[in-house]
Amino acid sequence: MEPTEFAIKKALKMKATEAEAYTQKTKTIRVEFDEKIKSLKTIESTGIGLRVALGKKTAMYSTSVLDENRIGEAVTKAVKTAKVAPEDPSWRHMNRKFGNASAEGYYDGEIGNLSYQEIVGTLLSSVNLIKDYDKRVKPTRGILNITRANISVANTYNESAERSETNVEIWMRTKAEEYGMESTGNEHQEARFWKEVNFEDIASKAAEKAVKFLKAKPIPSGKTSVIIRNQVFASILGVILGYPVTADWVQKGRSPLANKLGSQIASENISIVDDGVMPKGWRTKPFDDEGCPTQRTPIIEKGVLRNYLYDTYTALKDQVKSTGNAQRLFYWIKPQTLPNNLILKTGDASSEEIIRETKHGIYIEETIGEWLSNPVSGNLNATVTHGYLVENGELTKPIKGVVISGNFYELLKNGIEIIGKDLRNSSENYSPTVKITELTFAGE
Amino acid sequence: MEEHEEAIKKVDLEKILEKAIKRGASYADARFQCQDNELITIEKETLESYSSRNLTGVGIRVSVKEAIGFASTSDLTPKNLNRTLENSIKAAKAIKGEKQAFKDKVSKGKFKSPVKIDPIDVSPEEKVSLALDANKAALVNDKIKSATTRLGLSKDFRLFMSSEGANTSVETTIVGLAHTSVAQTNGVMEWVPHSDSKCAGFEFIKSKDWNSLTADLSKLAIEAVSSKTPPPGTYPVVVDPEIVGLLLHEAFGHASEGDLVSTGESVLNKKLGAKLASEHVTIIDEGKVEGGYFYPLDDEGTEKKRTVIVENGILKNYIHDKHSALRFSANSTGNGRAQNFENLPIVRQTNYFMQSDDSKFEELIEDIDFGVYVKGKGSTGGQVEVGMGTFTFNVGPSNIIRNGELTETVRGVVISGLILETLKTIDAVGKDFEMRTSVFGGCGKSGQTVPVGFGGPHVRVRKMTVGGR
Repeated sequence: MEPTEFAIKKALKMKATEAEAYTQKTKTIRVEFDEKIKSLKTIESTGIGLRVALGKKTAMYSTSVLDENRIGEAVTKAVKTAKVAPEDPSWRHMNRKFGNASAEGYYDGEIGNLSYQEIVGTLLSSVNLIKDYDKRVKPTRGILNITRANISVANTYNESAERSETNVEIWMRTKAEEYGMESTGNEHQEARFWKEVNFEDIASKAAEKAVKFLKAKPIPSGKTSVIIRNQVFASILGVILGYPVTADWVQKGRSPLANKLGSQIASENISIVDDGVMPKGWRTKPFDDEGCPTQRTPIIEKGVLRNYLYDTYTALKDQVKSTGNAQRLFYWIKPQTLPNNLILKTGDASSEEIIRETKHGIYIEETIGEWLSNPVSGNLNATVTHGYLVENGELTKPIKGVVISGNFYELLKNGIEIIGKDLRNSSENYSPTVKITELTFAGE
Repeated sequence: MEEHEEAIKKVDLEKILEKAIKRGASYADARFQCQDNELITIEKETLESYSSRNLTGVGIRVSVKEAIGFASTSDLTPKNLNRTLENSIKAAKAIKGEKQAFKDKVSKGKFKSPVKIDPIDVSPEEKVSLALDANKAALVNDKIKSATTRLGLSKDFRLFMSSEGANTSVETTIVGLAHTSVAQTNGVMEWVPHSDSKCAGFEFIKSKDWNSLTADLSKLAIEAVSSKTPPPGTYPVVVDPEIVGLLLHEAFGHASEGDLVSTGESVLNKKLGAKLASEHVTIIDEGKVEGGYFYPLDDEGTEKKRTVIVENGILKNYIHDKHSALRFSANSTGNGRAQNFENLPIVRQTNYFMQSDDSKFEELIEDIDFGVYVKGKGSTGGQVEVGMGTFTFNVGPSNIIRNGELTETVRGVVISGLILETLKTIDAVGKDFEMRTSVFGGCGKSGQTVPVGFGGPHVRVRKMTVGGR
């Protein structure tokens, strides 16, 4: 018997009113490298996450061992805990009806056929590009993860669903040195398909970046217009909006977007959508982690807040339909309401045009600490490790060590001047390059 | 019988290691892990979730012709363990090796962090009601829009065996409570997250007044929501012990990790013996420190002793695992750590802290005309770019220092600095000392998260970049 099926039967036998079992089996090939391959690993990871309800009392238990004894024990422990848990007055029921959206491009069948030799060969030939690029630069650290995951969900309403997914993540880092000056270059890409990953492009860009930033320096504090590269802004978007757009945060009273449906919260050039069925999207899938079909949900349309994102619990509380946004980040974590693929809709300027139209400003290539921005206050912060001064429409001096600050919601209203057309993702967040009219920055 | 004892009975690690050598490995090690944890989440007086987890499995590392292969599994049947061994050998054979150093002193021994009351055995009712009470106490008035309390418990048993004969085990129990209050006034919102953990049993949870801690966090959130951000610029900053821990961890700790130094990535490469901080600064990494994480041995079976990183401003040592130690013809400092059995150990900090000196707090602030006293309560972390030498972290609600006195509260404070510059501008170090660790999160590097300890005294830094609007 399959682990999910076994768990559900056992839960019913234990007199649970409802139960849900979520099994995750993943196989990851992980390569760590610098100039050479440092290690090659296969990580086979399994786990089952159980959620049981006794009336309005719920509890969860999970285990990495999928034999029937351990699953039986896990169900027993979950039921035992639920019995003594206080009631959740808002609990209605689990998802009673599973369904599939037509989603494409979340499983790469070729990944299973990749040999270690092919993977290592592809990596080494791109790493060699770094060494050939310039004698001042070398590869210092990199990680490649190739993951195949099989996920199955079932519950006591006789519903079940199963899917397989693939993910490829590459991260490469270089270092350049010359006359006591030093600098790095980082590049990353996250894709569903092995063939979508552009290893050569990543390696050559990482090499080029390190060399260009050898002479980077801090600049004095000030205020200026700021151009933020697509992947960097994608990451900021995820940090600041990822939770506040969920009904979970709205219902808990910690979302700055609460009570704002239908109102103009951004300028007309801003449209943001969560698209669970976007072809080849990082979190694209036919159903969410509770078995609800995924969908494309407009969040902000021409500046107007249209929808929040829902899982089953929050949808029942607001008496609406789930938008298919239940997400188990790991099998042992309770499903959370989270965006599938959060996308800032593109405009029509190329990044070159955006730079050309900027008389004076900063171009941000890379930051650290953008994830320390505050989704509750909307306070946006990031420390620029790689940036350029923009002077008369051209990138000039490289800069580093500058902290930018602003309020994200004020920027949405009247601060985002130009939106590019070069959409890229940082994991599940997608954005083009954008130009912000004015931001404060702290420097020397 | 303890859960891990039952699971390990079924697994014959010695036999696997013998087999690895027979199959052509010159060295092999196996790490068995059995970890139990619980997380109870309360949201505004309601139990949002009670989740428990057991993680059990084995990771096998082999060296074949000096190439490292690794595979791991949760399926502990003999048949599957053999398959896992074969996978690790296959992985090693797919790559070219470089010199390895596994022939080292062989250690044996069992270690256990002090525990009076096993937190897993405490009844769920008792744990839930304690967390519920703490949550209720945070609802001080209707300005508090959201209050989340989490009670976290973890018991982590790790066994390490090698083909060289090493056989060590460490069991670490850690418990803690985390709370976030969100306040709103006039349409403006702010949060203050904070947590308090200790490597101990449930007796630690029982010994603390959590209700006043959560109520204080709510009051702090209400105070913060109506305060401003500081003016952007570079000026003197006095940091509290929590922030000095974070500062060292980001500004210096990562850059002193041997693997990042040996590849030339870190700006501390080739800087041993150089003066990189003021003479007031002495930095230590140590496995067992009161208040920190319990870490007597690393995940390669090496004892984690006291490593002096910086002594009176001079860089003395990097931290190493076996692999990076070899690159420097040094010995491993016991810093080879893995998130769990599914990962290979890499160089990580353990308890990284600054030693106290002799200044009183009043002396640290008295000659500052304009600066900020930055505080840890409300901070959500930091990050470093060891190659560009830039680091950053955010802090909780803090105070402006004006003419030697603490004045108004500011929020949204982000600090940034340069690794090779900032510690040189430390011109006074306090006589106090505080060490922290956490059951709720840890430090991330190369995709692995491990718990760390950090801390120190209050410290005055003359030049730091403070973000603001």
